[in-house]
Amino acid sequence: MLAVFNVHVTIENKPGISDPEGETILNDLVLKGGDSSISKIKTAKMLKFTIKEKDKKSAQAKVQKICDELRIYNPMVSKVTIDVFDAS
Amino acid sequence: MSLEPQELDDLTSKIGRKPTSTELQIVAAEWSEHCSYKSSKKHLKMLPMKGPLVISEKGYDSGVLDIGDGYVITAHIESHNHPSAVEPYGGAATGVGGVIRDILSAGTRPIAIFDGLRFGDIEKDLQARWLFKNAVTGIADYGNCLGIPTIGGEVEFDECYTNYALVDVAAIGFGKKSSLIKNHAKKGDIVVLLGGSTGRDGIGGSQFASDSLESENRSAVQIPDPFIEKLIIEAILEARNQKLIHAMKDLGGGGLSCAVSETADALSIGIEMDVNKVHTRESDMNPDEIMVSESQERMLIVTNTEKLKKLEEICKKFRISCSVIGHVTFDNMMHVKQGSKTCANLPTDVVANAKLLDRPSKKPAYLENIEKEKKLKPISDYSKMMMKFLAAPNIASKIWVYGQYDHEVGIRTVVKPGKDASVLRLDNGKFLSAKIDGNPKHCYINPREGAIGCFEEACRNVVCTGAKPIGMLDHLQFGNPEDPEIFWTFLESLKGITDFAKYFEIPCVGGKVSLYNETPTGPIKPTPIIGILGLIDKAPLFSHKIDAGDTIVIIGDTKDEMGGSEYFEYIHKFVGGKCPVVNFAESKSHMNTVLDVIGKGLVKAAHDCSKGGLAVAVSELCMTYQIGCNVSLEKIPGPKLDVDRTLFSETHSRYLLVVDKKNLQKLDGLLKKSKVSYKMIGTFGGENIRLNKENKPIIDLRVDKAQKTWFNSLRELVVHG
Repeated sequence: MLAVFNVHVTIENKPGISDPEGETILNDLVLKGGDSSISKIKTAKMLKFTIKEKDKKSAQAKVQKICDELRIYNPMVSKVTIDVFDAS
Repeated sequence: MSLEPQELDDLTSKIGRKPTSTELQIVAAEWSEHCSYKSSKKHLKMLPMKGPLVISEKGYDSGVLDIGDGYVITAHIESHNHPSAVEPYGGAATGVGGVIRDILSAGTRPIAIFDGLRFGDIEKDLQARWLFKNAVTGIADYGNCLGIPTIGGEVEFDECYTNYALVDVAAIGFGKKSSLIKNHAKKGDIVVLLGGSTGRDGIGGSQFASDSLESENRSAVQIPDPFIEKLIIEAILEARNQKLIHAMKDLGGGGLSCAVSETADALSIGIEMDVNKVHTRESDMNPDEIMVSESQERMLIVTNTEKLKKLEEICKKFRISCSVIGHVTFDNMMHVKQGSKTCANLPTDVVANAKLLDRPSKKPAYLENIEKEKKLKPISDYSKMMMKFLAAPNIASKIWVYGQYDHEVGIRTVVKPGKDASVLRLDNGKFLSAKIDGNPKHCYINPREGAIGCFEEACRNVVCTGAKPIGMLDHLQFGNPEDPEIFWTFLESLKGITDFAKYFEIPCVGGKVSLYNETPTGPIKPTPIIGILGLIDKAPLFSHKIDAGDTIVIIGDTKDEMGGSEYFEYIHKFVGGKCPVVNFAESKSHMNTVLDVIGKGLVKAAHDCSKGGLAVAVSELCMTYQIGCNVSLEKIPGPKLDVDRTLFSETHSRYLLVVDKKNLQKLDGLLKKSKVSYKMIGTFGGENIRLNKENKPIIDLRVDKAQKTWFNSLRELVVHG
C-alpha cells in the first residue's frame, strides 16, 4: 500500500564555507533595519518533492538517491537535509 | 597536508629544531609545488624576461609593460584547474577573482579578462558538459558583477580532460606609470589584512592543487563573492591614489602563509603577526587554519600608522573590513603569534624558498611511432563532411560562451570577441590587442613544436588586428612531474617557447606552472597556453564588410602537417602524424608583411589559418561576413598535396587577407617585394562557400546553412544535449 509524502530537500553551503547572500541580507537589510538580535542568516535552496512510497524511510532514501545521482547538489560545497512529511 | 620526509628533515636542519604544528602547515603550503615551483623554477630561468618595455619590480605578481606617454599595462595568467574540476562554478569564478587581484597588486586597474577552458568530450560525456556549463557561468557571473569585460579566450574539448577541467584565466590591467606600487617597507610599518573574512573555505587549497585529484574527498572549495572584490578594487585604487600603500600582495594559494612569507622575503624584512587580529568568520578557528585558509577576496597591505587612519576611512566608506594583523621587523623572521604565545617563528627565506629539485626527464615511449600515419578512410562527400566538421565542438563558433560574458563594459572594447583577437582602446590613443592560445593535440605529438605553434598562433591572432606582439604570458600545464616522461614534455615545451621568444624578442612578462594535472585515467596532454599582448600605435584593423568581387589572398605555404589536426582526430578518430612546425624566419617575414599591408590600409580583413586548416578559415570568413566564395585549391601555394591535406592541414604562419579589387595591384607589388609565398586563391561572391578543384566544387555549402550550423551547434549541444 503506497502513501503520498511531501519530501523537503534543503540545500545549503557546508558549515564554515562563506555564504555571501546570507551575509548581505544580514548586514545590509536586517542589521541596518535595526534588528540587532539577529546574529546569523543562512541562505538555502529548497526542493519540495511529492512522492508515492511505502513509508517515510523509503521516501527519504529514494529522494536522497535522486539528488545524489542527478547531481542536484554538489557534495563538495553543499550540505543537504531531507525532511519527510505525510501529505494531507 | 604534509611534507615529504626529506623535506621535513631539511626544514628541521635549517631551523635547528623540530617545527611546531603551525610551522608545518605554513611550510607545507609554501613548499607545495603550486606555491614554490620547486620542480620548474630552475628551468624557468631560461625564458627571456627582460625587454625595453618591461618594468620589473620586486614582489610583483603581474608583468608590467611600459606603453609610453606615462602609461603601463599589466598582465597575469593563472589557472584554477583542481578547484574547477570539483566545483566548476565557484572554482572558475574564484580563479577570475585571484588573477584580478594580481593585477591590482601592482596598483593598476583591471580592464579585461580572458579565459581558456578545456574539458572532456562534451558530445558523449555528461560530466564534461556539466563542468563546461558551470565554469562558463561562474566566469560570466563573476566578471559581469565586477564590471570588467571578458574579451577573449578559447575553448577546447579533448578526451584527455575527462572528469577534469582546465580553467585558465588571464587579466590585463592599465594605469599610470607613476601610480605603480613600489613595493617597499620601513621600520615601524604595519601589516594590514583587507577584505573578506577568513573562514574555513579552501583550507589547504594549494596543497590540494599539488596532489593528483583522485577522489572528491576534499573540502578545499572557495566561494566567490564578486561584490566584495569590486569594493576591494575601488578601495585599493583610492588608497593607491592617496599613496597609502607601501607594499601589497593578494592572498591566493597558501593564504596568509604565502602572502606573509613571500612579502617578507621579497622586501628582505621580517613580519610579526597575531592570528587573533585576523577577522575571522567563525570564532573557533585555530592558528593553523587561519594561516592556510584560502578564503577569497583578501589583500595584504604594508603601510604605516599615520596612513592607517586614512586607509581605515576608505575601508569604512566601501564597507570592507580591515584589520592590523602585525608589523614589519628587521630580523627577516616570520613570527606568527596567538596573543602572546608564539605559534611559528621561521626565517622568511627558509619558508619562501623551497629546495628546488632536479627532476629526471626521459623521452616518452609513446612518441616513438606517433608520427606514423594510418591509411584514412576516403571521404565520399566533402560537403557533408564539412557540415559535420563545422558543428564539431572544437570548430563551432564559441558564441554560446562569449555571449554570456559582458565584453563591452568599460567601453574600451573596439574589436569584440569572435574575431582573431579582441582590441581595447587605451587612454593614450594606442590600442591593445590580446589573445591566448593552446593546442594540446599538437603538443601531445610534439611538445616542442606544439608549444611553438601555440606561441605563433597567438601572435598571428594579434597580428591580424594590426598589432605588434610586445609581451608574452606562458602557462605550462602538465601531469605529474615526478614521472620523467611527463617532465621531459614540460622541458621540451619550455625550450621551444624560450627559443621562439628569443628569436622574436618577445619577453615573457608573467606566467604560471600547473603540474599534477592528472585525471582518473591518466595525465592530461601537455597543455602549454600562450597569451600575447600586442600594441597598435595608430588604429586597429576594423574589419570592413566584404563585397562581391573582393579577393582572397593567402600568405604562406600549406604543407603536409596533419598530425594533431582536428580533421584527423574528429573525422578519422586518429591521433598521430607529423605536427606542424614553425619556420622562424618565414614566420617573422609573414608577420612583418601582414602588419605592413594592414598598416598601409590595403586589407579589408585578415584571418589566420589554424584549427581545421584552410577549409575552416575560409568558411569562417564567409560565415562571419555572410557572403559566399569561390576558391581554387590548385592555386594554394606549397608542395603538391592531396585534397584532404590542402583543405585541412594545420600548417602555421598562414594568413588569409581580404582585399578590395582596387588595392590588389598595390598589394601584389608589396608582397612580391617582401618575398613571402602568397597567392590570390579566389574571390568572394554568391551564396555558396565553394572550394574547387579543376573548376569542380569539392566543397559546396550554402553560406546561410553553414552559418546556422556553425553558430548554433555548441549551444544546442549544451542546452539540449
